Amino acid sequence: MIPGRTRAITWLGALLLALAAMTAVAEEAAEEVAGTLGAVGSDTLAGLMLRWGERLGERHPGIRLQLQASGSASAPAALIAGTTRLGPMSRPMTGEEREAFVARYGYPPLELEIARDALVVVVHRHNPLESLRLTELDAIFSDTRRCGAESAIDRWSQLGVTLPGDRIVLHGRNVASGTHGLFRRDALCGGHFRLRLNEHPGSAAAVAAVAAEPSAIGYAGLNHLTASVKAVARRDAAGRLHRPGPETVRSGDYPLARDLYLYVNLPPGGRLPGPEQAFIDLVLSPEGQEIVEEIGFVRLSEAVRERQRARLAAGPPAG
Amino acid sequence: MIDPLPPKPVPRRQRLRRGRDRLATALITAGGIGVVVAVMAIGVFLALEVVPLFLAEDPQVSWRGLWLPQPIEGHELPQHRWQPDTLTAEESPRYGMAPLVWGTLKAAFWALLFAVPLALGAAVHSATFMSRRLRTRLKPTLELMEALPGVVIGFVAGLVLAPWVERHLAGAFSLVAVLPLGMLLAGLLWSRLPASLAQRLPPGWAGLWLMPWLALLVILSLWLSPWLEARVFGGDLRGWLEAALGLDYASRNALIVGLAMGFAVIPGIYALAEDALSGVPPSLGEGAQALGATRWQTLWKVVLPAAGPGIFSAVMIGAGRAVGETMIVLMASGNTALMTLSPLEGMRSMAASIAIELPEAAPGGTHYRLLFLAALLLFVFTFLVNTLAELVRMRLRHRYRRLGRGA
Repeated sequence: MIPGRTRAITWLGALLLALAAMTAVAEEAAEEVAGTLGAVGSDTLAGLMLRWGERLGERHPGIRLQLQASGSASAPAALIAGTTRLGPMSRPMTGEEREAFVARYGYPPLELEIARDALVVVVHRHNPLESLRLTELDAIFSDTRRCGAESAIDRWSQLGVTLPGDRIVLHGRNVASGTHGLFRRDALCGGHFRLRLNEHPGSAAAVAAVAAEPSAIGYAGLNHLTASVKAVARRDAAGRLHRPGPETVRSGDYPLARDLYLYVNLPPGGRLPGPEQAFIDLVLSPEGQEIVEEIGFVRLSEAVRERQRARLAAGPPAG
Repeated sequence: MIDPLPPKPVPRRQRLRRGRDRLATALITAGGIGVVVAVMAIGVFLALEVVPLFLAEDPQVSWRGLWLPQPIEGHELPQHRWQPDTLTAEESPRYGMAPLVWGTLKAAFWALLFAVPLALGAAVHSATFMSRRLRTRLKPTLELMEALPGVVIGFVAGLVLAPWVERHLAGAFSLVAVLPLGMLLAGLLWSRLPASLAQRLPPGWAGLWLMPWLALLVILSLWLSPWLEARVFGGDLRGWLEAALGLDYASRNALIVGLAMGFAVIPGIYALAEDALSGVPPSLGEGAQALGATRWQTLWKVVLPAAGPGIFSAVMIGAGRAVGETMIVLMASGNTALMTLSPLEGMRSMAASIAIELPEAAPGGTHYRLLFLAALLLFVFTFLVNTLAELVRMRLRHRYRRLGRGA
């Protein structure tokens, strides 16, 4: 995927209208919600949002989703401008973005967790490396070594791994992407990447690059794992391994996890329009969470979903 | 008495035709002016997006900070850094534009280093030596090359070529050395051939009969390179490069980008240079040959100097394309914001940075405006280069007209 070109404005209209024509006869028109649902935001979440939109169209043939996926930063801008009520984001809003929203509307945006994602450290499938400690990961990727490593790790032999090309080649996501920032925060202890990190404009490209190079190591979103690369487990101080997987990500056992968000413009004491409400109901339903898993993200636990519903019912917090 | 002429329908038709002509002229003029206005508007728009950066006295941005190395934690000497993202409010982003400009120029340099000799050689050969039949086949092929989208070239370079070169480093280097030398050797051997055999291999068809020779060279150098690597470099060329020359080999490097982008730039340079060469009035070359000059002397002393400005403008337009090219650099360079001379390390270009980062940058923010500054720099550069090339070409056309008349 190439950002800039991913500005994919997708209309499901044709499909949904056809479905509507087929099912409209059977449905009772009385309680039917209809309308166009707009969402602007993250390109990481584009696939998931589209699948939710499709399923929503099956449930309520009158609703269609218009998604504009041009990056997380576009969500706050569109919410503030009032062009949409739903802003999917792969990172939490910054203080600045939140303040700008409050300045415009007088209340903060409502933040809903809609799925979980994790970053996975990957190596070439023939690489014997099984696990890495946080300090080792930091010493491999960072310029700053804020996690406390003594010295930088440049070669596989420093990790006890014998490979034909000894020099470690680094692959990752581009600067300013949510994935890049998350890795900096959680794996580099807030430090900076080395300059020789190869930056790719998408997780799929980073995984493909690692798959093509035996001496490479990289990181990518969990849903981009393929059989051509091997996921590396995290080893903690006690020597226990934390492998990336749906269970460990959901429970928080695997450390490089993040929440994916949907920001909603909901005035205090107000109600969402029908299509938006139906969309969020679907997202937080077991059916919606099944789609999360199909896409490759990690579904929310029932407790977390209950909390989101409560948050939606209570409306935005004051201030 | 002569009958008065019956009223003819002609004037009306004429008036209609004149009206139509005037309408067409007006539309075409409007279109031309529209294009000029659109180009100007792009420039003005970019400038307007950049101006607030320097009016608002943003503490994060100063001319010094953008272009001079800055102190960085963990380093003794000040460094150039392009690290525009921040995790916390306390952290200040690093906006050093120098690595991006450097990367843009570095990529363009290696692309031109690869493309200019090949494209100009091909243009000279096809304009002066090549048989007409082969030439009519060659031109569409090169046009097809130009039609290949940059994404496709970049994809192949990044995901196929770069890993292959990394695995066969010695083979790739030996190809770079053997192919030009092998061509020279072929020329030397050809000039020594007995006349009867040389007639069978006319220079006009060299493009075809050199193919088996080239294939042989490729096979030989790939077959011999592991042996050579083992004998000379102890079996590990990459390790040798690092130990002996201090060069760090990155699989996505300036050479790969140069090769891929050179491939994209060749057709444009070739087409313009070929036009310039075949536009040289034939009377000039014929005159030189009539005075006893060989074809080679005619080429060097008469045709090339006459077409020189056109060739220069072809190279300039190629440079403009190489500087602005986005997808090839984005996919084949690794986007590492380094400032090194080494052709074996990657770089990050301004165009690739804009493509990658603009969707993630908050509209109106400092990062966003700096990306527009990069876009403005690209715009100004390509505008200047293309204008210069066009001026030179206009002078050339003028000169040809004079020469053609004088003959």
